[in-house]
Amino acid sequence: GQRQLLPLAPALRARLVAAGFQTAQELLDTGPCGLSKEIGISKEEALEALQVVRQECHSDATQTAGAPGTSRKCTALELLEQEQAQGFIITFCSALDNILGGGVQLTKITEICGEPGVGKTQLCMQLAVDVQIPECFGGLAGEAVFIDTEGSFMVDRVVDVATACVQHCQLIAEAHQEEDHLKALETFSLESILSHIYYFRCRDYIELLAQVYLLPDFLSEHSKVRLVVIDGIAFPFRHDFEDLSLRTRLLNGLAQQLIIVANDHKAAVILTNQMTTRIGQSQSTLVPALGESWGHAATVRLIFHWDNNQRLATLYKSPSQKESTIPYHITPHGFRDVQPPAVTQNPEGTELNPRKRPRREEEK
Amino acid sequence: MVYQGLASKFSSLMLFAVVDFVSSDLEDVAQKCSLSYKALVAVRRVLLAQFSAFPANGADLYEELKSSTAILSTGIPSLDKLLDSGLYTGEVTELMGAPGSGKTQVCLSIAASMSLGLKQHVLFLDSTGGFTASRLYQMLQAQAEDEEEQLEALQRVQVTRVFDVYEMLRALQELRDSLSQQVLSSTGPLKVVLIDSVSAVIYPLLGGKQSEGLALMMQLARELKMLAREFSLAVVVTNQVTRDSSAGPLKPALGRSWSFVPSTRVLLQSKEATWEKTNTQRVASLAKSPRQPTGIQVVLDVGSGGAQELSPVTPTQGL
Repeated sequence: GQRQLLPLAPALRARLVAAGFQTAQELLDTGPCGLSKEIGISKEEALEALQVVRQECHSDATQTAGAPGTSRKCTALELLEQEQAQGFIITFCSALDNILGGGVQLTKITEICGEPGVGKTQLCMQLAVDVQIPECFGGLAGEAVFIDTEGSFMVDRVVDVATACVQHCQLIAEAHQEEDHLKALETFSLESILSHIYYFRCRDYIELLAQVYLLPDFLSEHSKVRLVVIDGIAFPFRHDFEDLSLRTRLLNGLAQQLIIVANDHKAAVILTNQMTTRIGQSQSTLVPALGESWGHAATVRLIFHWDNNQRLATLYKSPSQKESTIPYHITPHGFRDVQPPAVTQNPEGTELNPRKRPRREEEK
Repeated sequence: MVYQGLASKFSSLMLFAVVDFVSSDLEDVAQKCSLSYKALVAVRRVLLAQFSAFPANGADLYEELKSSTAILSTGIPSLDKLLDSGLYTGEVTELMGAPGSGKTQVCLSIAASMSLGLKQHVLFLDSTGGFTASRLYQMLQAQAEDEEEQLEALQRVQVTRVFDVYEMLRALQELRDSLSQQVLSSTGPLKVVLIDSVSAVIYPLLGGKQSEGLALMMQLARELKMLAREFSLAVVVTNQVTRDSSAGPLKPALGRSWSFVPSTRVLLQSKEATWEKTNTQRVASLAKSPRQPTGIQVVLDVGSGGAQELSPVTPTQGL
């Protein structure tokens, strides 16, 4: 039982006590739907209350058990040593890896904004494969959680990307002929890659919130997860929200929860976001969706966009890298660099999906 | 302070608190307790000296302020000019801006120059996960050649990650405890506290039906102001900005209730209007100050060496 009071609103606490709840465990066992029915509050409020309870229990557990979770208090020197020992998740597009400072960083939230069809989901699927690359090939040997809100995850595409990745590693193994390379390849196969992407489909914002608040428990059980993808953070929140202040509050709570997940479990969190038009005084510009306050959630922000026929990635916000723009390509093998012009004579190096070109281009 | 014997006599007269004693009729008490009147007057004088608030005159306050306030240079000359020589201890200074405007970069730059140049210990409370030690190291390397100096400076920066308001309050409480016990140990003399950001932990509490959010925000406000005042600390906080409508002007987040907390407010903006033109230049404008006229602007560069001065104060520059 909890020896201290949970930080809940007094009115809520009064209702809980009146309904007969004594301990935090009872609340957690009841679940959000049961709770909202029992004490007559909305599902959102029940979810929020449970999130608070869960956090208290979680932090209590780590404090009393002395768990080796990331210590929250240290000197900058200690942090530097931690950061330098951490790996990155590579994207297979070296230009993008460069502007990111090596690849997608662990313990941070990276947001990818862009219009539909520009390649956000492609990068997410690529990263879900790349995080699993064995350590002897320069990877993290991790697992991935993929939370899909728009249904854009395509298994056959992941198969293509995974197959290409395994082949890439096989080439390295053949060139170097080392013991550990061959051993790693025994377990690094298409089947193992697919089985280590934990896929969740969330159809509305309540399911999404619930899934994120359940993440700490899931990650405690699956400690090898090093990547959490939420493909489509904007979609569940853009419509059907009359109370915008509630939306802001839920989104900010979600952001803090994700920051905790990234930090405590040493995982990279990737979010994809849509673009929206902001109508200014003299011009209208494309900006990331979900408003000003959401922009602070992610530590690193990438904006994917078109320039005629070329896809570009702009690093817009980063704690340590400069803002810059680079071109990238989506090939049948996945996310890649733009090939130098002399090499792309054959059609295999060109766009995967002709439907996804901008409208301005003329069909050849 | 009251001797044991006296205490029992007083309690028999229903004088339990200092207030009861001080406001009672001493002659009456002297008779009932069979104590000398002179002794009671002496006790009352001691109690008054210890517990009452004395009116202080302005001159005394000014002298006290002069001796206890320090002005700490941020390490960025143009920002110092904006702040009237630097960060004042005893006050809360706020940096506000949109995502990517450079708030964390300026905080890191301040931490770097304080720990390296002024050899001060710095406490950095990170609620966004944005603190990157390698970036701080990069800034230190640009300012000092000697590796040992750089590492020493890194050790003087204490980082605590606080991801919700309760953790933040707890961390501030711990700070208060360690400062009031004057534990010198590893923290050393602390003069600067940087909090990036307060809005990240407050926003999840505001709005909706829970009214506790406002109370917690006020509690945080009180803690910060008291810490700054009592321990002569320079407190720097970062805040978001919001707009009323999509074409409206930027205003600081957290509303009017928070606006009295910082004495000085600096707005950071990117020099370019859209994200399509990437650049490292930022414009810092003074939005609130007890000493300077508002509206002064300077241009900073948040490039590799840390936030640096780019050009002197010129209001007509660029925008």
